Amino acid sequence: MRKAYSSLESLRGLCGLRICLAGSRPFKREVNSVKSRAKRLGLNSLTFPRRMYLFAAPALALFLVFWVFPLIQMFFYSFTNFNGINFNYDFVGLKNFVNIFKDGTLGNSIRNTLVYTIVMVGASNLLGLAIALALNSNIRLKTLFRTCCYIPALFSAIVVGFIWSYVYMPRSGLLVSLITLVGGDASKLNILGNHKVALYGIALVEVWKGFGSTMIIYLAGLQTLDENLLEAARIDGCNEWQLMRLVKLPLISATITINVILSAIGGLKAFDYAFIMTSGGPGKATNTLMFNVYRIAFNEQLMGKASALSVISFFCIIIVTVLMLYVMNKREVEL
Amino acid sequence: MKKLIALMLSGILIASLAACGSGAAAPTAAPSQDSPAAAAPEEKIVITVLDSGSAQENDFETETLPRLISAKYPNVTVEASKLPDDQYYTALKTKIASGEAPDMFRVAPKGAGSNSVITLAEAGYLAPINELGIVELAGASGTDAFRVGSNVYTVSSGVSILGTYVNMDMLKSLSLSIPTTWAEFLDVCQKLKDGGIQPIVMGDKDMYVMQFGMYQLAASKVYPKNPAYDDQLRTGETHFTDTGSWDTVLEMYDTLYKNGYIDSSSLGISQQQSQQMFVDKQAAMTFDGSWSAPTLRGADFELGYYPLPGNEGSEILCASMAPGSNWAIYSGSKHIDACKNLLQYWFDGESDLWKAYVDADKAVVTYGYGSDRVDVLFQPFMELYNNDRAYYWCNQGWPAGVENEMLAKFSELIGGQNTTVPEITKAMQRKFEEMVAG
Repeated sequence: MRKAYSSLESLRGLCGLRICLAGSRPFKREVNSVKSRAKRLGLNSLTFPRRMYLFAAPALALFLVFWVFPLIQMFFYSFTNFNGINFNYDFVGLKNFVNIFKDGTLGNSIRNTLVYTIVMVGASNLLGLAIALALNSNIRLKTLFRTCCYIPALFSAIVVGFIWSYVYMPRSGLLVSLITLVGGDASKLNILGNHKVALYGIALVEVWKGFGSTMIIYLAGLQTLDENLLEAARIDGCNEWQLMRLVKLPLISATITINVILSAIGGLKAFDYAFIMTSGGPGKATNTLMFNVYRIAFNEQLMGKASALSVISFFCIIIVTVLMLYVMNKREVEL
Repeated sequence: MKKLIALMLSGILIASLAACGSGAAAPTAAPSQDSPAAAAPEEKIVITVLDSGSAQENDFETETLPRLISAKYPNVTVEASKLPDDQYYTALKTKIASGEAPDMFRVAPKGAGSNSVITLAEAGYLAPINELGIVELAGASGTDAFRVGSNVYTVSSGVSILGTYVNMDMLKSLSLSIPTTWAEFLDVCQKLKDGGIQPIVMGDKDMYVMQFGMYQLAASKVYPKNPAYDDQLRTGETHFTDTGSWDTVLEMYDTLYKNGYIDSSSLGISQQQSQQMFVDKQAAMTFDGSWSAPTLRGADFELGYYPLPGNEGSEILCASMAPGSNWAIYSGSKHIDACKNLLQYWFDGESDLWKAYVDADKAVVTYGYGSDRVDVLFQPFMELYNNDRAYYWCNQGWPAGVENEMLAKFSELIGGQNTTVPEITKAMQRKFEEMVAG
């Protein structure tokens, strides 16, 4: 933290120096002399000659072809009735956007996606941080525990979804069996079949799979803490709770920002478990934005309407992410 | 030199963009002349085929078919691959859009699903097979569902059935027999329930399975009164909201949930799990298709299969039987004639390939070898079929999306989300109009 602060100060100092120099005549003369020399050599800059752009061209081409161009196409198709197969489509103006609003697809998807994201961000970060704090202390077999926590992240979503559909299975699933084993009544437990809890059920599966990755990032953050600083805080009379709340958490605020943003983006793009475990059901209870895009595009064959929903999702995700980044960064500076 | 390189890079980029932007204009290439028969003996060709489903041990499409085709046509190699249903639709659409479709792929009859023959033929992606002998052999019943305009794109060699599998041992233990009317069916369910047996198990977490029961009811309830019901939906003469049509079907099906005849936890159970529960004798009946017979035959009880009777009073019992999906030829294929020969050989009703196909239980065939020895399980259905008392699956007559809306809304109804039957039929009608309008 202190190093980062001093680097920032140095940078500010350099910038200031440059601004001062920029106004002086000798500096201008020097710049003009360098520019004319570069021009003679066919270069626009001594530090970044124009030919260097050629090295960026392959990556730029891939970026344009596989990201920018499809994105432009998506905007284009959102105003058409393209069905994904027949290229004889017509322009329908804003009809796709109007239909998304009218049939309730948008409201339902955004609500489900936001709930999913909140659950995922909250649970994943709290669990990841708690375990990272525990596994950062000197306990026996901590390497084994760290590995165990990370193992779920190594499985594919398909495998995890399939396994958990048996965990949640009513009447004879693992969860029901465990509750029955300890004497509880789980005969009515039907997580994936209940529209009130199905969304939380699949969000928790994603938390289970992803908390290992979150934990690793927190662990990395915690291990960069200066032990002298912690010791100083202890000498000043901090108990463990104060140490964590007033020293450790502020010092890993950048790590928290990264984890929260990553979880939020993952939550906003939720698709896998809604597709694998519930097919968007019961009813439309687990229809997330991305699941609806898929359903409309590939089940209903309304590629134009799916593109319209994608456009809206695109802006929603950008707005939410930028807002979070802004708030978190501001908070980071305050801390 | 630098300008030259920059120019070349720009050219490559523009070409790439242009290639993507052109989409896959519907190929209309004329058929090539390299059929297995016409090809020179040394000329080797590879025919790629894409199928939906999961490859099993000794799989017919991925193992038997390539082997028997190579035996018949030594210069032809069939490269067949299978993808699970959802992935199949996505992969097929992507391959078609990029102009890289396989030579042959599975298409669904009429307007059913993403790979429906109507959608693909109207977009110009299918090669007609009007001149093949199998078109005549399959007859009108085997070709109507694959006819778009004046062209036939594949034939249906058999039918797929929706029915009710039943554990006959359980029925007999309570001295019950197969019901033939709706009232009898409800009575059987009640007696099973009173006897401590769960009457029906369904895996409604996979929402599509709800269709298996609904379409059986609609076969007796909607279509006998008006066989042109679905066609008239397009002309506006009928509507899903009409009283006495789909509202009745949905209410009847909902009765099974309200009375607890269908396992109350069905929304949390997948189809695979429900099949296992049926095999494990946790329920007496399940609604499923004829394609599940090989799986359910593994049970250690006497298995029965009958059409769910939706008929009441003077109404007649009808079955829900659809021409099965089959393989069509990609119009952009370089081996159209070879593919046609392959189809002709396969579905001629007497070739080794046809016999292997029939023996592999791939379809309930309606002509040629195997048609005279219908599985005893399917005999009640074939009697109805031969007496014109069978109707195609409802979703084949609807644009894709309508059945999804119906299933999602019905799922809300049985899940206690206060959705009503009129709301479901209204949503179906709205979706239908949206899809038809494009």
